[in-house]
Formats: sequence, structure tokens, C-alpha cells
Amino acid sequence: MNRRMMVGATVLVAALGAVLVPAASQAQPASTSGVAWSQTHDLTRDYTVGGVAKTDERHVTVTASKRTDLQARERINVSWSGAHPSGARAANPYGENGMNQEYPVVIMECRGLDDASLPADQQLSPNTCWTSTWGQRTTKGPTSTAAWLHDKYATDADTQQVSGVSTLPAECGTLPATFSEHITPFDAVGAKTFSGCNADTMPPEAAIGSTDPPNELEAFTGTDGKGSAQFEVRSDTENASLGCSHTVACSLVVVPIMGLSCKDTNVFCNQTGAFAPGSSNFELNGVNAAVSPQYWWSASNWRGRFSIPLTFGLPPSTCQLLGTGVPTPFYGSELLSQAALQWSPAYCLRKDRFNWQDNTMPDDAAFALMQSGQSAAAEVSGRRSADGPDPVGYAPTAVTGFGIAYEIDKPDNAGEVTTLRLNARLLAKLLTESYPASTMGLAHPGLSKNPISLNLDPEFRKLNPGLDTSHFSEAASTLLTLSTASDVIKTITDYIAHDPEAMAFIDGKADPWGMRINPSYKGIKLPVSTWPLLDTWIPSTPGQICLKNNPAPYLPKVAAPVSSLRLIATATLLSWPNVQTVCDTDPTTGLYKLGRIAPQGVGSRFMLGVVTLADAQRYGLRVASLQAAPGKYVAPDNAGLSGALAVAKHGDPFDPYTISQASIRKSSKAYPGTMVVYTAAKTHGLNAADAKKVAQFISVSSTEGQQAGRGNGQLPAGYLPIKDSGVTKPLFATAAKVGNAIRTQSGKPAATTPPKTPTVPANDSALPTGVDAAPTTSTPATGAPVKTPVVVATATQPVARTMPITSDLGGVLLPMLLFVGLAGGVVAGFGRIALRARGRR
Amino acid sequence: MTTLAFLGSGSRKRPVTRTAIRAGEPAETIAVTSSAFLMLALVSLWFVLQALALGGLSEHRSQALLYSSFRQELAAATAPTGGVITPGTPVALVSIPALGVEQVVVEGTASGDLLAGPGHLRSTPLPGQAGISVVFGRASTYGAPFSEITSLRVGDEVVAQNGQGSVTYHVADIRRAGDPFPAAPTGTQGRLTLVTAEGSGAFSALRPSAAVYVDATADKALPAPGGLPAGVPASEQVMASDTGALPMLVLCLALLVALTLGVSAARQRWSTALVWVIAAPVAIALSWSTSDVVMRLLPNLM
Repeated sequence: MNRRMMVGATVLVAALGAVLVPAASQAQPASTSGVAWSQTHDLTRDYTVGGVAKTDERHVTVTASKRTDLQARERINVSWSGAHPSGARAANPYGENGMNQEYPVVIMECRGLDDASLPADQQLSPNTCWTSTWGQRTTKGPTSTAAWLHDKYATDADTQQVSGVSTLPAECGTLPATFSEHITPFDAVGAKTFSGCNADTMPPEAAIGSTDPPNELEAFTGTDGKGSAQFEVRSDTENASLGCSHTVACSLVVVPIMGLSCKDTNVFCNQTGAFAPGSSNFELNGVNAAVSPQYWWSASNWRGRFSIPLTFGLPPSTCQLLGTGVPTPFYGSELLSQAALQWSPAYCLRKDRFNWQDNTMPDDAAFALMQSGQSAAAEVSGRRSADGPDPVGYAPTAVTGFGIAYEIDKPDNAGEVTTLRLNARLLAKLLTESYPASTMGLAHPGLSKNPISLNLDPEFRKLNPGLDTSHFSEAASTLLTLSTASDVIKTITDYIAHDPEAMAFIDGKADPWGMRINPSYKGIKLPVSTWPLLDTWIPSTPGQICLKNNPAPYLPKVAAPVSSLRLIATATLLSWPNVQTVCDTDPTTGLYKLGRIAPQGVGSRFMLGVVTLADAQRYGLRVASLQAAPGKYVAPDNAGLSGALAVAKHGDPFDPYTISQASIRKSSKAYPGTMVVYTAAKTHGLNAADAKKVAQFISVSSTEGQQAGRGNGQLPAGYLPIKDSGVTKPLFATAAKVGNAIRTQSGKPAATTPPKTPTVPANDSALPTGVDAAPTTSTPATGAPVKTPVVVATATQPVARTMPITSDLGGVLLPMLLFVGLAGGVVAGFGRIALRARGRR
Repeated sequence: MTTLAFLGSGSRKRPVTRTAIRAGEPAETIAVTSSAFLMLALVSLWFVLQALALGGLSEHRSQALLYSSFRQELAAATAPTGGVITPGTPVALVSIPALGVEQVVVEGTASGDLLAGPGHLRSTPLPGQAGISVVFGRASTYGAPFSEITSLRVGDEVVAQNGQGSVTYHVADIRRAGDPFPAAPTGTQGRLTLVTAEGSGAFSALRPSAAVYVDATADKALPAPGGLPAGVPASEQVMASDTGALPMLVLCLALLVALTLGVSAARQRWSTALVWVIAAPVAIALSWSTSDVVMRLLPNLM
């Protein structure tokens, strides 16, 4: 598939689509600058109020932050201006929850492109637009009140008693003579059609309680005509019926609801809003249908649509299916995974390059694997002491870092929080489980005087005014983090360790508001690369049978760390905290289990998680600013990453750079979460074929791979490009130098160290501690093309060494018995001699 | 350790031609003390004798029986090749030509299993099969089959014969506490880890206190069937002892007490010589089996 042609075609289609918008709207060409997309339409509504014909005119501009090379679940920021202000705001704008609003902006994902010249099955229509409930597709009611029958732009077919379909399908039941019904069936990929007139005739992905929440939304426009929303695109992996992929074109359709244009003076058609602009409708009271999203499919609304053509990037499985040659796996930091998603097709699909495969693994384990020769190179973000004679070179590969992602709603449904500031002590409070999380947790020894959750903490409120200060939640009292070893945890804890106030808190001193650390974590030594779960307090729950029968330490269940940063990004994206405190009883078996709490409702969301900056960019997650110098909060953007590189120190040319948290604390521009990922490989003792591959990777990734962009081989957002200029110039030079040393294997082995071949044992308690585990079939060096981070990620011990097993008894028993025996014999002999001397014998 | 108390008491009560010792005399204290120390000496030396010499006899006898039994199984192709095998069954023949050692390996590594010869750790593949096989052997007692293996040099051969065939390993290293593990074998590679104990300082051969490992590797080992036990009980770990032997110890001691009482009673009626002709074999047999039981309570690599 020729990607360049496809991108060209989609641009052309966008331009054509703009021209072909109905005559009532005057179109302006789509902006093609950068990755963003923008278009302006003039929208009108003709209606009659009190016998006076009126025309409502709006000059609407819609902008999308990105639209090409999308990955599954990637979020697009859609913003608009000039739209009709909305009223009757719903707490939750997604799916059917947002239907009771007036003048919202409907945003949905539809298969096909808005291009009349394409074959019919590649075109966009309301029938290819995804909705998660049938109520959004079908309208039924007494003919006397059916506003859509009076649509000025409707065709004759659409004003029949049954419209949208030629005849009412049998599965849709019967329609009374006095009723009218409009159905927008769903055309799934592969020519299958779902009637969409009741819950049984919807595609399987729209089943009640399906895994993914709705992604279509009815977004709210402010009284100034402006609004914005984050739209999560779904690929064929998440939504097979919709079927969007790199081969099936899709569009993001934005329909600003103007209301029905009416051909007569029908009162239902000519309704305007019953709610004032900007008003709320949390009770989901009825709204005036003519200006509600109910009729998004009507010709009046549909003709004013904005169709943003989307292209999907190659899926993560591309190299497994199409790659040439045996993959050469590199193991290491998850910080690289978004770059790897775009980089690996640039290796595996090219004959002149090796088949590069990136696998996530704890940094220490990955380094040990590289040192023992079981992988060609490791992706780590800091120096490690060599455990062998062969010198190791570190080539800078990516400048990125971790971020504290948040999903927080302002009180009273005023939208999402867009800036958040955190400092080391707040992170320490969250990580050490020092918030009691609920009234049950207040019984925890030492926590009874602490604020229950983060949003009630005066320190947090002072830093971030205007947030909800009346409710508490378990999700708001923890930071979702990693259960495995990672340099990310090491950097976070190092950040805390360099903050005197945070360390005073950890050492047991109360903060200025009287909050104290959870005694289980008091005096914990930082930094650590695995965050320990030390709290063992089990609440006493006399009244609650389920909890009583299922006792478990409470605060670790609130923290419930997960095994990869990607999972944290997904949890934040779905605002589904990983708090595992819901106790269920299975009625059939009578067994009790603790499970995950429900996803948070829009309007009362509050969760925090550690993510990679690249995941945050991919999924449109908001990331908190962290305190650098006291009082200076730095956002994790390219400026913040550059600021951290500016204070980096470099010793030996083959060593990694040191971004010390001590120097970040003196800077007002350095982002504390900045981390550099290095490709670490031996500069001596690596076989020639592997050396060539690693050198090729370093050379390609530090040049072509540092071009910012969304295409194959390019560097996604969330990474600071390493260029031969500016603050990254030394890194670029180091990469070239190390790459050269690896290619030529010109390093000098250390002469004194005896040869050692460390390896990483699986943590198999079945074996005696002196005997290492038998290899399982998951031996990583065999180059299975499947990414298997989970299998290897369990190993957290860097180098296994023989445990001392001794037995004092074994050491003394035989000599002691021998001595006792001989001594006893001598004493007995003397006794006999003494007796004989007395003449007794 | 009162196993042989009656022997001592017999010698003390030998009558009649001597002047009798009366109660309360200083001579009585001397006689009692002397007898007690004699007892202590006999018990201690008997155990040392059993561990170092008689146990060796016992182990050689077991090996001879196991060898012929395993030889038949190999010939009949009924030797076990994997899965869960009853402890005590012969599973492989390991020979180390450089040391002149040839031993039948039994299944299981509890202290009692190792009385018959080297034992195979049940959660690992059999010697000769791909993966990491682990064999424990005693260092000082009961034949001390692995007493010399720390003197092996890198490259020395270790040959394992099991029901599937014969595999020649080459010694790769000798590991002690703190040494790094060698790289895990991959594919068809196999590693045979021989585990024993060693002492240090004077009488080091009699003081096996620290576990030591000899790794031998083979590039091409035999395929290993699955179905291994996921783990072994604590009594089969390195340097573990088997407290399951305690009830048996109680039984043995009770029999010894019964024998003592029986001897005392018999001497009232029959001559001393006659009683001892009958009681001595029984006493030796009981002492022997009691010592075997005591060995089970001691670390398995001793």
C-alpha cells in the first residue's frame, strides 16, 4: 500500500468534501498546515417564531488537533467557535447520556469519506456513523408531533410514515397507524446492516455493558460560541463493526446542532431552546427535540456537518504479520514504546534494515540480559554498574520522561481541570498511602487526623484552587503507579528524595497542616526502583459480612499498582481507577472477592496516574506540572525537557548523562520527570552481526527517527527530538560516537574482572534458593516475534548470585562427637584406674 | 543419646570376685562417673563409626542393589524418564571418570533418600535431559559419594545415563556463595548441577557446613518430558533435615529401652555370657537403625 498516495488522496478528498458541502453552507478549504485540521462553514436555520420567518446564521470553525496515522484509542482534541450556544448541559456528554441537551455539537466516528466521487460503499452517510445505543438512531412518535416530517431539506422519502428504511423490518415490530418512525440503520463493515431500531438490532459492540464506554459525544458549546472536546477514536480492534483501520478509511464527523429548518409553521419543528444558553440539566429533563441531538441525521443538521478524514497508522501487529527476517529484540524501558510503535515498521518493512523489535522489561533486567549476551542491546534510562569485563556504551535514543496524568472535573460541572500543579511532598503523600481514602481508613493507626483524600488536603488546595473540596474518594487518595521495577519509579522517588520538605514528611515530621505519614512507610529509604506496598493494616468491618469474610490490607487495595504504564494510561483515558476495594459475593458459590470500582462518572472524576509523556500525548491525557525550584512549576513540554537537558552532566563519553534532581531543584525551567532513554550495548565482545544491527539502529534512530511526525519511522509527540543543534547537540554527538564504537567493537575489556555470566532467574520459589530456575519456553533470546513483556517482566532481580546456605550443625557435629567420644573414653579409663588403685577391682 | 546404655551398665555390674562398692562411698561416685563417661564415649563413637564407616558399607550395599535394579530397567526400557517418580527409585547413573566415581542416582533429595546414594531434585529434569538438572550428594557420611567433586576442574567430564540415553557433560564452574549463576541453558542445552557441602579449616573433610555447586553443561541434552512437580517440600531443599523422622526415632529409642530392661531381667536368670550372645546382635541392629533415623534428622548434604 502506497502511503504517500493515500495521504495525498485523503487531502484531496478533504478539499473536495469542502467544495461539495451543500450550497447553503459556504465552505472554506481545509487547513493543511501541520497535523491540525481546520474548516469553516456558514450554517443556517430557517424557522418561524410567532408567524415571523427567521434565519439563524452561524459562522462555525472546527479545528481538530490531529487526523493522520492514528492509533487505536488515540484522542483527538476537537474545538470549535461560532456555534449556537448550548443549553441544558448534561453531566455526561457521551452516548445517550448527552441526548437531553439543546444545541450541542455531535461528534462521532463514521466509516467512509465525504466524497461523492467514491463508490457508494466508501462514502460517508448517517448509516455508517457509530452510536452506542439504538435510541440515538431511531425516533418514533405520534405523527402529529413528529418534527422531522417538516424538515425543509428532507427528501420526500424522509417525510413518509416510516423513513430511513424502505419498509419497516420485521424485527422492528409494528407501527401504529397514527405513529411515524425514522430509523438510521447501521451499515457495518462487510455489507452487514443492523436495523438499529431496538437493543436487539444493534451491533455487538453496542451491547449493554460492553467493555468500552461510548466514544460519540454531544458536546457543549459555551455562551461565547466556543467549545472543545477530546474524541477517542476506535480502530477495528475495539470496534470491528465500524471497522476503521489503515485500509478502511473513516471520518470524524462533527455536526453542530442548529435545529431543524422548517418548511412550514409546525410548532414542533419551529421550537427553539427551552433552556437558557449555558444552563445545566443534570436531572435529564425533557428538551425541545427540534434543537436536540435527537435529529443529528436530519438533512437540516447533516448538511452542516464537518467531515474530518482520518487515516489510521499501521497497527502494532504489522511487523509480526509483514516483517521480513527474524526479529532482533531489544529489551527495556516502556518510555520508548510509543516511539517503537512508529519506528518498528520503518525497520521490519525494509529489506536493507534488520527487523527491530522493542520489548518492555524492567530496566535492570534488560541490562542484565544484554550483559549476559542474551539480547543485543538494552533500552535503559540510566547508568548501571557493569557486571562483566565488556565495556558498555550508552547511545542517547529518546528524550522523554514520565508525567503525572490526571482526569479531574471542576465542581458544578464546569468542565475538566486543565492545569494541575504537584510537588514532591504531595507525591510522597500519595505514594506512601498517607491519605485514609475513606471513613473506614480513618481507623488506620496514625492516619486519623489526615485529610481523607488529596482534594481535601490544604496543601493541594492551596496549589490548585477552585477544585472540589467537599467530597472525598478512594481514587482521589492514591496515585496509580507501577508494580514492577522501573527507572521511572527510581526517578520519581529520587525527585522526592531531593526535596527536603518531602523527606522531612517521610521521616515523620508533620506538614504545616498537621498531616503525618502512614507509619508503615516512615523513614523509607529513597530512591527505590520498585515501589513497595508496606501497609498491612486490615480494617475491622463488623457490619460488613463480605469484607469480614475477605480480610485484606485496605490501603494497598486502594493503591493497586499495575504492571505497565500503558495500563495506567488506559485507566486514565477511561477515567476508571484501579482501586480494588469493591467486595462482591458470588451468590452461587458463596465466595467473596474484592474487585475494581466502577468507572467514574463525568462531572465527578478525580484520578491520578503515572504515565509516559508519549502515552499522554497519544491519548490526549493531561499531565501535571511538577515543582522544580521551590515555587517554580514546570510543565512537561519540550521547553521543560530542554530545561532539564541544560542541567545534565556528562562524564565519560560512553556513559549516560546525569540529570540530577539536585540541579533541577535549582532550575526554574527544568521538568523533574525528564528521562533520557539510551540504547546500551557492549563495545567489546558483541558478535559482529549484532554489533552491525545495534549500530544501524543507533544511526537510524538518532537521525531519521528524530524527525517529529506521525508517520512511520518518525518521532511521535512526547519526545524531544535529538538534533545536531541546540541543547540536544551533545546527545547527538554522543549517539554517533557510541554507535561507531559499537559497530567497530573498539572498547577495551576490563582486565581485572573475572568472567561472569549473570542471568536473570524467574522468581520461582519451587526451587531451593541455591539452585536457579529451569528455563521455561519463554526464553527471550530465541527471537519469537511476539512481544512478550509480561513473561519477562516478572523478573526483577538484576543479577542472580548463589545464595550462601550453611549448616552449623553439619560443621561441628562429627568432630564434636569424636572429641566427646575420646574424652569420655579417657575419663572413663581414669575412673577405672582410680578404682583399681583403691583396690576395689 | 542413650542408645547403648545397657552395654555400659553390663560392664559395671560385672560381679563377684571384687570387693563390693557400697552406697555412699567415694568409690561409688567415681564408678558412676566413670561409667557415665564410658557410655557417652560409646554412644558418640558408635555414631561417628556409623556415619563414616558403617554407613559407607550400607551405602555401597544400596548402590549394588540399585545398580542391578537400574541395569535391568535400562535393559527392559522401563527406567523412568520424567513426571512424578516415587522417591527412592533409581533414575540415572552418573559417572565422573576423573574421580573414579560411579553412582546410581535415586529420586528425591530428603536426608533419608541420600543415605542410599546421590539424589535427584524432584522439581528438575532428570540428569541427561535438557534444562537444569540438580543432583545432591553427601559430602562426608554414608559413603560420601560427592566428597571429591570440588576438586574437579573446568572441562572434566560428567556422564549421565538415564532411561533415554547417555549424555556427556563438561564441568563449567564450581560455585560457592556469592558467585553469579551461569547463563540459563536454552533449546536443547542441559546443565547438571551437582550439589554437596564442604567445610573449612582443620578437619575440613569432617565438617561439611556450606553448600557448594558444580555446574556441568552439555550442548545437546535429551528431551525432557513435562509433568514435573512444581516444587519440593522443605525437607528436600539444600542442607535441609527431615523432621518427619522423629516418630521413628521415638519408636527406636523405645525398643532400645525395652531391650535394656529385657537384658536386666534376663541376667537375673541366665549367665551373663549367654545373655550377651543373644542380646548383642539385637543391640547392634537396633543401634544401626537408630543411627540411620538420626541421620535423617541431620542436614542432607553432610
